[in-house]
Amino acid sequence: MAQEMIEGINPTRMELLKLKDREKLAVKGYSLLKEKRNALIMEFFNILERVKGSRENVEEKLKEAFEDLTTAQILMGDLAVNKAAMSVKESIELDIDSRSIMGVVVPVLDSTSSSRTVVERGYSFVDTSVKLDEAAKKFEESLALIIELGEIEKTIVLLAGEIESTKRRVNALEHIIIPRLENTVKYIEMRLEEMERENFVRLKVIKKSMEME
Amino acid sequence: MKSSIAVVADADTVTGFKLGGIKEGYVVESTQEAEEILTNLIKEKTAIIIITEKIGEELREVIEKFTKSSALPMIIEIPDKSGPSHRATDPMRELIKRVIGVEMVK
Repeated sequence: MAQEMIEGINPTRMELLKLKDREKLAVKGYSLLKEKRNALIMEFFNILERVKGSRENVEEKLKEAFEDLTTAQILMGDLAVNKAAMSVKESIELDIDSRSIMGVVVPVLDSTSSSRTVVERGYSFVDTSVKLDEAAKKFEESLALIIELGEIEKTIVLLAGEIESTKRRVNALEHIIIPRLENTVKYIEMRLEEMERENFVRLKVIKKSMEME
Repeated sequence: MKSSIAVVADADTVTGFKLGGIKEGYVVESTQEAEEILTNLIKEKTAIIIITEKIGEELREVIEKFTKSSALPMIIEIPDKSGPSHRATDPMRELIKRVIGVEMVK
């Protein structure tokens, strides 16, 4: 591993220059990628702060909502609840934007869920129970939470994927490509020096033999 | 950009979310049905699809295919009436562990 280098390289000055350029590029890319990785991880930690407990919140809220729904179903009967549900107006307006974190496009949701009054929901009061109102309210609330959770989880998944691939690239550059280039450069330099010495000796020998004549 | 939310779940969950103000609710009984509806919804560019954890568990591969790389659609799994299912490993936690390298206390 320590002496690994690129195979099939001719020890010429031309190759040496080319390799040196490549090495410079690799080092530059490495430091850029490292910065990118660090920035991504920082962003990742920020989002982790937000995800804390938000799934638990959703679960809690939904549990309450389902309890109220079940009570409403018991009081009014399944059919009546279904009928009421059919006539509820759409409550949520969703605006989807996207934001780019170091080239990763993550969604930004802007939901305007106006918590509505009972009248605005759209079902009649004659044959509905109070529990239904409560269930509807809780479902509205949990919907807002769910959307937020979805945004956060999606961001985490996308960021995680990008971090992983960046990490892999950084590691590949650091541990394989750059050392290999360095070794090859060193090898070519040594070969060139050796050739120079050989030439030098050869010239000396020739000079001596010419003087002898 | 026009965007919409849809629910694909069992009857009670759909009723609940309809009360909460979502127009597009699909009651599904079988895994196959769920898969068909999901595929359709994704084709129609629905932005957010809410499904129950049970369906999510069964259609894990289909969902992952759609959500791995792109920002939309967002498929969110929620617990149904019977409460949150207890998965052996929390996928989020796994992911974070893999990325950061150490277990984060969540």
